[in-house]
Amino acid sequence: MPTANLTKAALLMLCIVVVSLISWEYMWRHKGYDRGFNDDVGLWRKNRLKVYQPQNEATVFIGSSRIKFDLDIPTWEKTTGEKAVQLALHGSNPRPALVDLGNDENFKGKLVIDITEGLFFGPRPEIEMNQRVQYGQEASPAQKAGDQISFALEHQFTFLQKDLFSLNAMLTDLRIPNRKGVRGDIIFPPKFSYVTFDRQEILTDTFVKDSAMLRWQTDIWTMFGALSDEPGAGGDTLQKILEEVKTAVAKIIARGGKVIFVRTPSSGGYWAHEPIQYPREKYYDQLLRATGCKGIHFQDYPDMANFICPEWSHLTKEDAVEYTQALIKALQQQNWFSNPRK
Amino acid sequence: MVFNSYTFIVFFIIILILHNLPFTWKMKKINLLLASYIFYAAWNPPFIILLWISTLIDYFVGIKLHQETVKAKRKAWLFISIAGNLGLLGFFKYGNFLLENFTLLCQSLGLDYHPAKMDIILPVGISFYTFQTLSYSLDMYKRKGLPEKSLLDFSLFVTFLPQLVAGPIVRPDELIPQFKKPVTATKQQLLQGLLLLSLGLFMKVVMADTMLSGASDAVFDAARPLPAVDAWAGVLAFSGQIFFDFAGYSTCAIGIALCFGFFITHNFLYPYAAIGFSDFWRRWHITLSSWLRDYLYIPLGGNRKGNVRTYINLMLTMLIGGLWHGASWTFVVWGGLHGLYLGLEKFIDDKTHKITKLVLTHKKTITGFLYALFTFFLVNITWVFFRAQGFKKAWDMLKSMFGMQNGDPLLSTLALIKVAIVIPLMVLFHWLLRNTTVVQAAAKLPWWLVGTIWAVMILLLVWSQESTGSFIYFQF
Repeated sequence: MPTANLTKAALLMLCIVVVSLISWEYMWRHKGYDRGFNDDVGLWRKNRLKVYQPQNEATVFIGSSRIKFDLDIPTWEKTTGEKAVQLALHGSNPRPALVDLGNDENFKGKLVIDITEGLFFGPRPEIEMNQRVQYGQEASPAQKAGDQISFALEHQFTFLQKDLFSLNAMLTDLRIPNRKGVRGDIIFPPKFSYVTFDRQEILTDTFVKDSAMLRWQTDIWTMFGALSDEPGAGGDTLQKILEEVKTAVAKIIARGGKVIFVRTPSSGGYWAHEPIQYPREKYYDQLLRATGCKGIHFQDYPDMANFICPEWSHLTKEDAVEYTQALIKALQQQNWFSNPRK
Repeated sequence: MVFNSYTFIVFFIIILILHNLPFTWKMKKINLLLASYIFYAAWNPPFIILLWISTLIDYFVGIKLHQETVKAKRKAWLFISIAGNLGLLGFFKYGNFLLENFTLLCQSLGLDYHPAKMDIILPVGISFYTFQTLSYSLDMYKRKGLPEKSLLDFSLFVTFLPQLVAGPIVRPDELIPQFKKPVTATKQQLLQGLLLLSLGLFMKVVMADTMLSGASDAVFDAARPLPAVDAWAGVLAFSGQIFFDFAGYSTCAIGIALCFGFFITHNFLYPYAAIGFSDFWRRWHITLSSWLRDYLYIPLGGNRKGNVRTYINLMLTMLIGGLWHGASWTFVVWGGLHGLYLGLEKFIDDKTHKITKLVLTHKKTITGFLYALFTFFLVNITWVFFRAQGFKKAWDMLKSMFGMQNGDPLLSTLALIKVAIVIPLMVLFHWLLRNTTVVQAAAKLPWWLVGTIWAVMILLLVWSQESTGSFIYFQF
């Protein structure tokens, strides 16, 4: 092809690409989607690097999704004067992160471990959390540089939220029926949540006000076993889990670190069945006994006990602010903070 | 560093700008060399030392092979190069494999031997750059050309970043002469290079990662029997994935080199339109098959020592070709199957000459297409061994594929639709373009169509957001 024609082709390509991307971005913003970040290995690693801050400057949080939604980081930081380092991961067991911190000789900080019994004591192989731990240890220089560029771009563009707007996400959203027996991908309601740069996850107002969306989400939880009364892990399996946690916690405390467990609120279908599947005495209380740590269970505190999770599992943004203030108060009673502001 | 990453895009823009600034040619080559080392070090810095070892061994061996006239001493110098390169490869790639098999052998002989597993990292690209430098030493031994005096040019030949970690395996007489004269890309070359880079990334990110890897991984990772539909969908998905992934990388490499004004040879020419296996190996990973032909098959005697010896040479070459891909007996079986196919094909063709005739006509006939489909079918059988993690999985897959066992369905309808659309289109494109190249085909299209297709590829690339997944051939 003559150079002139190839030049025209390249210019046409640039025009189409630029106009299309601008239109694409504008369309999603116009439809009310919040700017969010991909909660990927890079974002997790960014926070993982922050765990080494002194005890009077930061608290590290691990857990599943509940603490990600329920801890309002701006409220925490404003009230306590400390940073909140969020390492929790939705749908995941935090034990690999705990073991990682336990084995990290340089971690001597304060650690809050949120317990969602079905995940914490569950048998699921922890692929996603293990990927993050591994990435945190082994990211190459090129990957680290790429993460910084990703963050800069994700600050600007809504359409870069992969779980919502990628080609595969949109193809999955066509919801083509599957053959009998094939589970297929789980499709969360649109505008369910978004993730901030600090890895806080927030239920959108649109989702919270839409009863059909709420029902869609509780149906997903039901599919995941929220209404099941089948007992959780027991016997040797439970003992191994307790031993693993006890060992990791002991290492952290031996180095001068502090550890506390929390049980964030659940309601509706989840709270109706979790105490049956995972009786408090057998799981949460036994965990505290095994590790010698204190715990803050939402049921034990009047200012935490009455929250309603709109889809049974996570608090709204407004309630997260209140819960965070209540959590801070409870931690103060445990002498968690050494900063005079608290 | 991978081509499909933000880091590479920024890095590429910087070195392209540097290459087009008014520096001396020597300075530009130094920039390219440093960029190549940074490109490699961005994965794991200490392994740069292996590149240096390979470079220095073959640089000095090349000079010695040229100067030395005593045959025994020449052989000794060649041995140093072979031992050095294959030693590196053997340790890093095959160390644990050799240890495992030695352990099994000892235990089968009743010896109680339980060594600790060595924690060896496989350096990215080691199979490629060791073969590349080895070809230089072997050429010097055969007195094919003069040794390269410039360490800078030789180092750049070894580490030239577009093809450093996954080929194409470039011959010294193809690349080193290009370093002798100052070169920057013309406008035409730059645009063609960017078009090829876009196409390569589209093939990798959109076709391999977004469209096909899900089905392939799900099927090959399944721990239970599958129905035939799912098994075939997974194998076909992998056949597409490995082509788009590897050919995508090679296309990126060729495009990037072109952006700097350099030419790198093709590595793929529509292999799924191959009529028979000789044709297949003239179209798939061309630089590896030609390396094995020139440095293994022909020195073994090729087809010059009678039919039996030809079959043996074919099989040996393909077995070693299989082993090159990975430290596992499944790769050896993959190579062995190709050796078997090549042998059978030669046997049939020697008697009928039908296959050669079809290949040489260059005409696209129905008969040719059917032979190509049959070849594609047989290639898919070999991919089972290539991809499966062990023989048990490979056998399970084959049993599922041929209906000898059944199971619950696994793949979503969407995954099946993706495979059902992409794979036939891929085979059709290969057939239609089998006698041409992408650049030649694009040159015949109106500019507005090229621009539109280019834009669609870029938009799908951005939309996919499957960035930073490493290329399959990085593990070889």
